[in-house]
Amino acid sequence: MTNEDNSRRGFLKKAAAAVGVTAKTLISAPSDSVSSESAKYVNDGHLQQKVMSQKQYVLMTDNEKEQMLNEILSNHYKELA
Amino acid sequence: MSEERKEIAKVTEGVQETRRDLLKYVGLAGATALMAGPAGAEAAASAVSATAAINPADADSTITEWLQGHYVLMSDEEKKKCIDRLEKRYSAQYGKKTTVSDAPPLEGVLFGYALDIAKCIGCRSCVHACVKENNQSRHDPEIQWIQVMKIEKGNFSFSADKLDEGYPQPSKFGDHGVQVGGNAYSPVGGLSTHGTQSYYDAETVPEKDFFYMPVQCQQCEKPPCVKVCPVRATFRDPNGIVLIDYNWCIGCRMCQLACPYGARRFNWGKPNLPSEEMNPKTHYFGNRPRMRGVMEKCTFCIQRTRENRNPACLEACPVGARKFGNLLDPESDVRKILATKKVFRLKEEFNTFPKFFYYVG
Repeated sequence: MTNEDNSRRGFLKKAAAAVGVTAKTLISAPSDSVSSESAKYVNDGHLQQKVMSQKQYVLMTDNEKEQMLNEILSNHYKELA
Repeated sequence: MSEERKEIAKVTEGVQETRRDLLKYVGLAGATALMAGPAGAEAAASAVSATAAINPADADSTITEWLQGHYVLMSDEEKKKCIDRLEKRYSAQYGKKTTVSDAPPLEGVLFGYALDIAKCIGCRSCVHACVKENNQSRHDPEIQWIQVMKIEKGNFSFSADKLDEGYPQPSKFGDHGVQVGGNAYSPVGGLSTHGTQSYYDAETVPEKDFFYMPVQCQQCEKPPCVKVCPVRATFRDPNGIVLIDYNWCIGCRMCQLACPYGARRFNWGKPNLPSEEMNPKTHYFGNRPRMRGVMEKCTFCIQRTRENRNPACLEACPVGARKFGNLLDPESDVRKILATKKVFRLKEEFNTFPKFFYYVG
């Protein structure tokens, strides 16, 4: 029995079994059907609607606008440097 | 050795080589599959079949594409080869001469965008122009980078300087159900997106009692999507535009989770882009056809703006609600709007410093 385990035939048996198990796993893995894919696209769109709703936005004062612009420009020059 | 034994040895040698090769291939395929999972196995298989295909039109991608590095880090020679390869493949795949530009960023430019929500009529011309220009998936699945939100009038105040007055007042800005002022229980110093609808299907627009707010990538100056990308596939270019190297993207969707505006779209399946509708003038980081498993989003039409043209959404807007320009130039439209109009930004509390501004004309 030990001889058989160490033989080339034994090795090939194990290798074939391993390949079989791998192939079976890959084949039986859940794949995305067309309908579930469509649902994911729709979900992405709804996600955006969700994150953008229920928000309050306040108009900026002149001072805030100036501060914002300065921050954007300084960050831009920092990134370039 | 007898002739018979020699013959057997020859045959056995052949068999051993074949068997060894077979085991090598099986092992390689198994290892690839185990490392990358079912999607990876499928991708590896498609890559192998693509290489073996004689006609490049049959190839989804090539092994070379799979193994190429980040485009920004490539040498000039590698970039040229990459562009040539893509142009050849797209031309064959879509049956028309396709160009892939890699025009560099403009000098001394920081792009900004402004949108007048008092003018927008919710016609979605911008959405359709964007889809057409940027080679987005058309039907099943349909991908749109711009989402137009329909918001009820009355949720909108044009004045921030009268917040302390206590009670809503009529506005001089017209019949928008506008409130000016408010109190601690009902802040009305801006816009409330309560009851927003993005998938409206009205026969005619604008609908009475509603106004519209298109939302797309805000091209943040401090973009959270860039910070979370584990492979730096998404990055901010010198013109302030957040771009994606589609070939370097691993499809982890971290950027989609990080984006506070929900502006990114993931290709769950193979995009459906009919040949006759494909725009053959593309940019590597912009509107070139994408593949399954990668992220995409608005780039302010980089293929146009890097050639000193306006984005497609701006050109398509029938009411002139959209303005685009250089934030470094004080004489640009956007800077003038910032200086003179009532402006707000989306989710400014996140400190992302979006360069997309909404204003009231």
